[in-house]
Amino acid sequence: MTRVSENSNKASLNFSINKAKERLENLQLKGTTLKNVTRPSDNPIANVEALSLSAVASDNKQFLRNADYAMLQLNTTEQSLEELTELLNKAKEIAISQSSDFYDADIRKNVANEIHQLRNQSIAIANRRIGNRYIFSGFSTLTRPFETDGTYHGDTGSIKVEVAKDFFIPININGEEAFFSADNINDNNPVLLKQDLEKLPEANIGRDLASDGSENPEENSGFQKRTNIFSQFSMLISALENNDPKLIQSLLEKFDESVSRLITLRTRVGSLTSSIMSSRNQIEGDNINNEAHRSKLVDADVAELFSDITKHQQILKSTYQSGKASLNQTLLDFLR
Amino acid sequence: MADLLGIGKSGLSASKKSLEVTSHNIANANTEGYSRQKIIQTSAVPVLKDGLITGTGARVVDIRRQDAPHIARRLASTITENEYYKERVSQLDQVEHIFNEIDSDGLHKILNGFFNSFRELANQPENETIRSVVRDDARMVVKDFHRIRDTLDSLARNIDRKLETEVENINQNLHFIGKLNTKIASLESVGGETGDLRDQRDESLRNLSEYFKVHTYMDEKNRFVVSVNGVGTLVSAAEVQELGVRGTDEMTSSNGMSGSLEIFFKNRPNNPISSKIDNGRVGSLLKTRNKDIYDLQNKMDQIAYDFSHTVNAIHSKGYKSTPVDPNNPEQLNKNTNILFFNTINNIKNASMELELSDAVEQDLGNIVTALAPNSPGDNRIALAISKLKDEKIMDNGTATIEEQFLKSIGNVGLQSGKARLDSEQSEGLLAQAKALKERITGVSIDEEAADMIRFQHAYEASAKVLKTADEMFRTVLDIKR
Repeated sequence: MTRVSENSNKASLNFSINKAKERLENLQLKGTTLKNVTRPSDNPIANVEALSLSAVASDNKQFLRNADYAMLQLNTTEQSLEELTELLNKAKEIAISQSSDFYDADIRKNVANEIHQLRNQSIAIANRRIGNRYIFSGFSTLTRPFETDGTYHGDTGSIKVEVAKDFFIPININGEEAFFSADNINDNNPVLLKQDLEKLPEANIGRDLASDGSENPEENSGFQKRTNIFSQFSMLISALENNDPKLIQSLLEKFDESVSRLITLRTRVGSLTSSIMSSRNQIEGDNINNEAHRSKLVDADVAELFSDITKHQQILKSTYQSGKASLNQTLLDFLR
Repeated sequence: MADLLGIGKSGLSASKKSLEVTSHNIANANTEGYSRQKIIQTSAVPVLKDGLITGTGARVVDIRRQDAPHIARRLASTITENEYYKERVSQLDQVEHIFNEIDSDGLHKILNGFFNSFRELANQPENETIRSVVRDDARMVVKDFHRIRDTLDSLARNIDRKLETEVENINQNLHFIGKLNTKIASLESVGGETGDLRDQRDESLRNLSEYFKVHTYMDEKNRFVVSVNGVGTLVSAAEVQELGVRGTDEMTSSNGMSGSLEIFFKNRPNNPISSKIDNGRVGSLLKTRNKDIYDLQNKMDQIAYDFSHTVNAIHSKGYKSTPVDPNNPEQLNKNTNILFFNTINNIKNASMELELSDAVEQDLGNIVTALAPNSPGDNRIALAISKLKDEKIMDNGTATIEEQFLKSIGNVGLQSGKARLDSEQSEGLLAQAKALKERITGVSIDEEAADMIRFQHAYEASAKVLKTADEMFRTVLDIKR
């Protein structure tokens, strides 16, 4: 027979009441926060996983913002290119109609005015801005890219934006690609991979500096001036003014070239837009999965939690009941 | 017939003594550390009388306390262990709270926000407002590094303060044990056992066990010799070796903080003993300070150092967007080599010293996004900085900043969770050991009540004997009348 003394009785009662209360307190904390993990030690692994999931979620939020921004840029670019194509088509139609000997010099002079208007419009398109930023000037976004004579002040910079993890998309087409002759189309892979970016600080810096600074800019622009869209307009104007149907005829081919180049660019922009859309969808899908997983990790199962709370309340109550039976009752109570 | 009176009287006084002891037990039913006492009673020496060996009544030999030395020893070591884990839980709870980001923003979220603000800046590098968002986010990062390091430091300092009071309490206990040693020796020199004093001494030994594990043995005069493994003797008879604390400088301290306390013997101040104490509350405090907090301080410093250095390395390669003449190297140089964070030379205390660079603090234009001069739309630097988030720059290129930080959080959580489990378990063991001891040495009112009735009846019976003897005397005396 085990001897039971007052203190051993009290100690074991204390222990069981404390234990029951502690569990209930823990459950109640979970009940008020509705979280299964309220501090790292509750479940260290779930906690860390939940944290990195929340980081992914906030990254994704940023990626969606980036994608929105890229879409804005690309849509404006696409629209500008479309308008430009229309202008070129219009000019080409005029050139076709004027290439025969049917019209005389006076009419051609009037038509020249119309082409002049088209040229002005195209320059306005080339200098289009989103907010305070020119879309066709490469990295020099605050510099007006085209003067009225068609001189290009921008650079060949390609601005990239991360629309999904490690998925970079160029969001601009620089003035040289859009308005200069086909030789300049920079047709490399539009998606910059992570490796390119890693190389970037060391490898690119020297070359960029050199290409922007040391090459002779006048020679460059002088050469390109002859082949850019504005000079095509200018040549048409002067051909019309000089009443030179042969020259007009020779220009047709050039307009065709420009139009087909613009179409190539528009296809490129279109494919970029669609890849942004698909990565967006991907991210939105991921977000739902992540959130579900995160919730599974840290959120409490409400039904289970409250049935647990009720259960433990019952346990505590019966602990009190049984304590009442053994406390405050001794043999002395029965010796009268 | 006179012996009848004698026997009655011996029974009477034995019963009275027993009742006294019973009442003493009842009175001390709730006294901490009290061991119930009982009477050792034998029959008195018989005598040869009228050719018969006759008994002469009862005799009280001794009042002895119910002792359980082996269980007491086990209880003491359970107390040491329990205190170790209890203290560890309460300390690590505070540490883990620093890193609790379940429903508040901590460094992890803030760092993430910092990198994302660079992504946003990469969208519109020309936008001044986003630059100020970047700077604000960077300030938050700096502030949070400071917060974490500050809190860790103050936790370590609190431990120092706690150690100081603990050592005072230890000394008090030591003196108490020394005093009791003297008293017990002098009282017991005349024979017998001083149960109550021994109880008090045992109790204060248990108190001492809360701080660290102590070893005791009794010398020939029943005095305790108290010693700590690897440290030395603390109490020997009435002799007490007091402990003391002293601050150490940054170089010699065990956690790299100036003024952190070490424990010494007061008479041997050049010989720190704190490294030898690895159990009990003192050991727990020391371990948290010298290992857990120290590790975290170093890790945070390493993260802050690597973070600021890599951001700076990329940032300084970029060019401001303000227009310059690219052919003028002097102007060009003015627009590059701009640091984002201040330069930190030492890993130690890096998380405390981290600040924004003066350039960035003064002018938002000094936040660089472009890899080429004169390119306000160039976002390559901003992209590269935002990509640092996924770059394995820590731990010899095996972990990203995020991974490294999460590893630390995970580790804190694991340690704290483990301590909580250990503490729960040791609490169970402690309750068990306590109950075991109380079962043997504790007072049971039921038992005492029964004893009281028993002894009262015995007393009444003995009184009856005296009365009978009295009547017998009277009968004899009446014969004469």
